[in-house]
Formats: sequence, C-alpha cells, structure tokens
Amino acid sequence: MMPRPRPFRDEQFPSPTAAESARFIRRDRSQTQTLQLNLTAMIDVIFLLLVYFVITAHFPISEGVLTVKLPQGRGGAIAAEAPPPPSDILTVEVWPQGEASFRLELDGTTLTSMTELHQQLVSLQYDPLRGRNGLFQPEDPVVIRPRGAVRWQHVVDVFNTALRARYRNVAFAAAIDRGEPGAEQ
Amino acid sequence: MSRLVRGPVTPRMNITPLIDVVFLLIIFFMLISNILSEEIVAMLPPDPEHSQVRPLGEVDRIVINIAPQPFSPQERSRPTALAWSGEANTRDGQTVKMGSLQWFSFDQLEILEAQLADQIARGSRDAEGHSQLEVLLRADAALYYHQVEPVMAAITRSGIRTIHLVAHLPTP
Repeated sequence: MMPRPRPFRDEQFPSPTAAESARFIRRDRSQTQTLQLNLTAMIDVIFLLLVYFVITAHFPISEGVLTVKLPQGRGGAIAAEAPPPPSDILTVEVWPQGEASFRLELDGTTLTSMTELHQQLVSLQYDPLRGRNGLFQPEDPVVIRPRGAVRWQHVVDVFNTALRARYRNVAFAAAIDRGEPGAEQ
Repeated sequence: MSRLVRGPVTPRMNITPLIDVVFLLIIFFMLISNILSEEIVAMLPPDPEHSQVRPLGEVDRIVINIAPQPFSPQERSRPTALAWSGEANTRDGQTVKMGSLQWFSFDQLEILEAQLADQIARGSRDAEGHSQLEVLLRADAALYYHQVEPVMAAITRSGIRTIHLVAHLPTP
C-alpha cells in the first residue's frame, strides 16, 4: 500500500487523513484512466459513404487521345515559314464505299485496308535506322483529305495508321470537299 | 492555481465537427462527379487498328462532344444502340456539347468559337504565353466527316493550335 506522495507545499495541500486515503485507494482500483471513443457514429458515416460510392460507380470504356495539329488559316498546318514543294507532301484521300466502308487513295494508288496503307507508307519512308529506303522523310507532311460522306472512324483510323508508320507531321486538309452522301464514288 | 483537479481524468472526444467535415466532403465529391459525368456524352469513339492512342494526363481541359445522331434517311429508321437505354444525346436537336453545360447546333458554331476563345483568354498560360488549355474532341465513330469538320474549323478559328482526338484506349 503506497502512501500518497506528498505535494510540494504542505500548507496548501494538507496531507490526507486516513479516511481520505482510503477513498483515494478505492478510486485508484475501481476507476482507472480510460480513453473512450464511441465509434458508432463514425461507422454509420462510413456505411453511408460506401453505399453512395457503390450506387454511383460506373465503369466507362477507357479513352485516350491522338494529338493533331490543326490547320491555321488558309494554308493549313503544313504551311510553315516556307511551304514545302507539293512533291514532298503525301496526300491520303479517304473516300466512302457504300454506307460504312472506305477506300483510300495514296498518290494514285487505291488501297482498301489500313494494313495496306501502313505498308505503303512504310515503303515510302526514308529512315535508315529502320531500314526504310523510301523517298519521304518522317518529317514530311502527310495530309489526310476525306471526301464525301466518310465515317469519322475511318478518318481517325487513317490518322492512326500514319502515326504508326512514324510520320511526325500528319494533319487534315484545310478545305474539304463536302459531297452528298453516295454522290462521290 | 485556483482549480484543482482531483482524481484520474477520462478524456472525451467530441466528434460532431468531424462528422460535419465528412458531410462536407460527401457533398463535394457528389457535385464533382456529377459535373464530370455531364462532360462525357454517351457515344462510341473511334477504335483504330494497331492503336497509337495514348492516355492524356491531368491537364486543364475542355471537352467538346459531338453526339451520335442518325443523319441519313436509312439510319433514321433504324434505332441506334444508345436509344434503348434512354440516354439523352441532345437537347432540342443540338448535338455539339462544350464542357458540362453548353449545347450548340451546327449553325451556332460561331457562338462556340467565341466561348472557346473566351475560355482561352481566361485560362492559365505557360512561360511563353501560350494557353495551357487542351481541347479534347469526342466524336462518335459513326458520324460523317462533314459533321465533324465544321466543329474542328470552329475550334481552329478560336486560336487553338493542337487538338486531341478522343479514341478508344486499348487495355494492354
């Protein structure tokens, strides 16, 4: 039974009497220091948050981007300080085929699939590091010219194919021909 | 020292202000998710072969949507896949949406151009003075090019130099 430690100033804090000592001892045993935190309310809030996020969760298809330089003014993105001679510009024309399909014309050659377009673009490219011995540098402009009522899917697909063939300067034509659907064959 | 604390102390924590903060956070995230979901009009963006599509990080952006619509007479008689779900793709026949709130039709593209120029002028700029606002163009894959091109032209005229075309990002 440890005696209660004496306070510093005995006059102000008189030492306990025997009865007080007994009370304090009883308090020491029955009421130890307890830290109480009632968690019920917090758990309710957590459930609320959980229910909210479960209800509002949606899983959209993942989307990314293809970056394109836009034509500025009348000359197009191709026109830099000195516009390159027309022979250095690769033009890919995208024509509609029926209601949903497409046809490509690359400098006079007709192609019907993106794979063929990729092969053609690669064969035309000059890149000694990759063993490509064509005539066009990767920095040479590639102009995509959609004609008529061709679907956006095919236009973006051509753009993607040009990027895949490692051309760096791909853009859309500044002025397009807006034909009636089905009028241009 | 007039107050004398006798006996052991039981600390108590009043969590009422914490619950208030939690409610504030809930409301904040509800509003944010509503605004962000309004920015994405339901559609199927193009899905290129051997995709070179890359994700765009966190940028100061404005999303311009061109909603899918049946344009040819044959298509009008066929219900689109999105029609059954009741998604609202337009508002009173307007099919171009800028940001979360504004709808335009094709003859109102000058207003879109003006609004976009306004956003650029108000936006932040980098060290060279170029605007840091990125424009994302989300167009449905089944749209015809002559429906997308006027919007691209309007964006060009408002002074934007590069535009990001949104396409399906293949999962690796």
